[in-house]
Amino acid sequence: MAAFTAEVFQNEYLATGSTDVHAIVTVTCEDAAAPTPGAGGGAAEIIMVDTSGSMTGASLRAAQHAAVVALDQIVDGTWFAVIGGSHVARRAFPYANATMPMVQMEPGARDAARHAISLLRADGGTAMSTWLVLAAQLFDTLPPGTRRHAILLTDGKNESESRGSLSRAIASVTGHFQCDARGVGERWVVEELREIATALLGTVDLIAKPEDIAADFESLVRASMARGIADADLRVWTPMGAQVLFVRQVSPTVDDLTNRRTQVTPLVGAYPTGAWADESRDYHVAVRLPARSVGAEQLAARVQLAVDDEVMASGLVKATWSDDDGLTARINREVAHYTGQAELASAIQEGLAAKAAGDEATATTRLGRAVALAAETGNAEATSRLRRVVDVDEEQGTVRLRRDAAKLDEMALDTASTKTTRVRR
Amino acid sequence: MSEHTDATSGTRSVTCPACGEDGPAGARFCEGCGTRLPSPPERTAAGDPADHARAQSAAWGTAADDAAEGTADHAAAEGAKDETGASPDPAGHGTAEGTAEGTAEGTAEGTAQDAAEDTAATRPDDAAPPSCHDCGGTIAADGYCESCGAPRRRERDHWVEEPTTGVAGVCDRGRRHRRNEDAMALHADAERTILVVCDGVSSAPDSDRASLAAATAARDHLAAASAHLDRGPAWSEALTAAVEAAEDAVLRSVGDMADRDEPPSSTFVAAVLTGSRLTTAWLGDSRAYWVPDGEQAIPVSTDDSWIEEMVARGLDRETADASPQAHAITRWIGPDSGNHPPRVVETPLAGPGWVLLCSDGLWNYCASPERLTQVLRAAQQGAASTAQIAERLVQWANDQGGADNITVALARHEAGSDNLRDSTQSKES
Repeated sequence: MAAFTAEVFQNEYLATGSTDVHAIVTVTCEDAAAPTPGAGGGAAEIIMVDTSGSMTGASLRAAQHAAVVALDQIVDGTWFAVIGGSHVARRAFPYANATMPMVQMEPGARDAARHAISLLRADGGTAMSTWLVLAAQLFDTLPPGTRRHAILLTDGKNESESRGSLSRAIASVTGHFQCDARGVGERWVVEELREIATALLGTVDLIAKPEDIAADFESLVRASMARGIADADLRVWTPMGAQVLFVRQVSPTVDDLTNRRTQVTPLVGAYPTGAWADESRDYHVAVRLPARSVGAEQLAARVQLAVDDEVMASGLVKATWSDDDGLTARINREVAHYTGQAELASAIQEGLAAKAAGDEATATTRLGRAVALAAETGNAEATSRLRRVVDVDEEQGTVRLRRDAAKLDEMALDTASTKTTRVRR
Repeated sequence: MSEHTDATSGTRSVTCPACGEDGPAGARFCEGCGTRLPSPPERTAAGDPADHARAQSAAWGTAADDAAEGTADHAAAEGAKDETGASPDPAGHGTAEGTAEGTAEGTAEGTAQDAAEDTAATRPDDAAPPSCHDCGGTIAADGYCESCGAPRRRERDHWVEEPTTGVAGVCDRGRRHRRNEDAMALHADAERTILVVCDGVSSAPDSDRASLAAATAARDHLAAASAHLDRGPAWSEALTAAVEAAEDAVLRSVGDMADRDEPPSSTFVAAVLTGSRLTTAWLGDSRAYWVPDGEQAIPVSTDDSWIEEMVARGLDRETADASPQAHAITRWIGPDSGNHPPRVVETPLAGPGWVLLCSDGLWNYCASPERLTQVLRAAQQGAASTAQIAERLVQWANDQGGADNITVALARHEAGSDNLRDSTQSKES
């Protein structure tokens, strides 16, 4: 059975009058693939491929190839389906006339699915809401406790429906399955795929060239197959009278969970974390307590990981008020690092949004801040992506927007903005 | 608790069932986590409940640091379960003060609560989880309240002794210190009442060990002294010998820490009340007062402190008090004490009143006899027991800021009654 551990990094000492406690909690899962008694078990995978008219040619051929590669990674016994998506969603496999909405993988099914993929044709517009809704319908036919994961691939903007229509569909399928979203080329909209991936507890990424799709699909499906824990909650207990300021995943990516709280008890909130493989994730939890007198000591939060309502690991976040400046003035390294990384993500996104809107002043300020934060927090990847979009004057410490910045580089910077580096320990 | 012989040193030691830390044999609290250690089990032929308890504690000990303290209650309960199997005393209250506490029902609220806590920590039979001292909520297995997040109050941080009616003490961590380095030990029998208060030197780490070892050893020495020591000089000698016993006990309890630059050390004040005579010995700045009913408190001890030495040499008190080292103590108990004998005074007690011993956690807020008297009179008002008076004095010091550990020990003296303590009420107040 999988084993979880939770480790807390914080400075528990608060100065007189201080109320806010910050902690980074690292949750680690080991032996995720070991069978968990009581869990429904079983996995399901749906591959959603954009078959709109814009995919015609090399893109569709690459996507078909990638889908076939993905099939090879799906472990026998896993429920699966393939969806071709345009302004409508069509189930490509199992075929439309199949008796089963999804089938379990076995060599014969794999061969049949390969053939079905080869029959995909590019035609029509793009309405991703229909793809997501169909995927949810298929997943919903499976036994409870099945791990449900999907990959969505598109090359274009979601142009056949309103933005609100997509958002409503995303909301309606949230919690039904997890989804990694991928955009190929430079005509898709980062923000659309980010909304899908964030709500559906997946990742968003850019694939610059169609020929790279296959490798990405392969790793996505392999990672999905390695996740032995279907669904886990991060639970945060806070004492009476306390307020949760925010709960944020900060590694491997920044993801604000604050508003996804569901109440377990009046003092305990649950935040979805999706499926787990053998991995570590870091969470930044901030709690506001009523101020207490010097010397007072209390628990500020219990940060726990729960699977099927069973608490698997618990980290204790503490608060101790002190008049010793040497203790209270210290900022915990992990907290500082991830505070910077979260601000980096928003600085990049806000800077690029301002640039797209023609607000060069804001874009320059925000991207300048991003450059500084990337340097401070040692995020070399962000630094190199930023340098393709802005010129940095090392002496002045200022930045200038690059006129020659490629659209693809801006999109790459945007999609990767939430990726964080870990603290070097 | 398990008692075992350390293979390397050959010294007897006890292992805390909660955190697994080894402490000296006979220790009452774990030095690591403050859990009250159950009294030693009778060694039986069947043998080794200790090993089982130790194995259990090792298992808990491997949990994450944060959780280690948290398991204290359950671990203590489990450990005690083994003890109860082997011990004739089911509550695990083998010591005099343990019994006193266990039976001190319905006295002060704090006492009752403490007793309840002890029961929860040491009795597996009714394994109800301990309740929170602050809000009454349930203390979770991780050692913190499930409602308000307050840490489980460690037994070492606050305890009450009331060996008989009219004799009681409270030892408390205060508000600002993270450890309670004060200690006390009380005793009462037909011939004598013994109060000992020790204040671990906070600049020397681990002084909570020294203070508890010193207080317990001195009390035990005096309690075992011949009951026929009815003449004052003999009690003076017994007190001097008790200090030697305390010094020895500190050395044993601190082990290698004795070699530190600042070895664990403690102040010392002890009073023996027999008939109408009070004999008091001290080293350092923990104080003894005689407070006759209707009159002002009379200081019995004079601090062994820099300020008092300077004043004794003729420096005016105001100038001396302005010095940063004014309150540094010049005598103490511990490996680097120099083994000075204590100062000893005898005080004939004419009428009824209170003997009060305290650490500076109390007297720093009421240094003058006038102020101390006021505070004591206020605490006496309507008090149902001596323990409640002591609790109120400690609470008062906490209300003033609780900047230091606070210990108050009280013994009621009834005039001409030869210390028959048939009334807990102060008849005057």
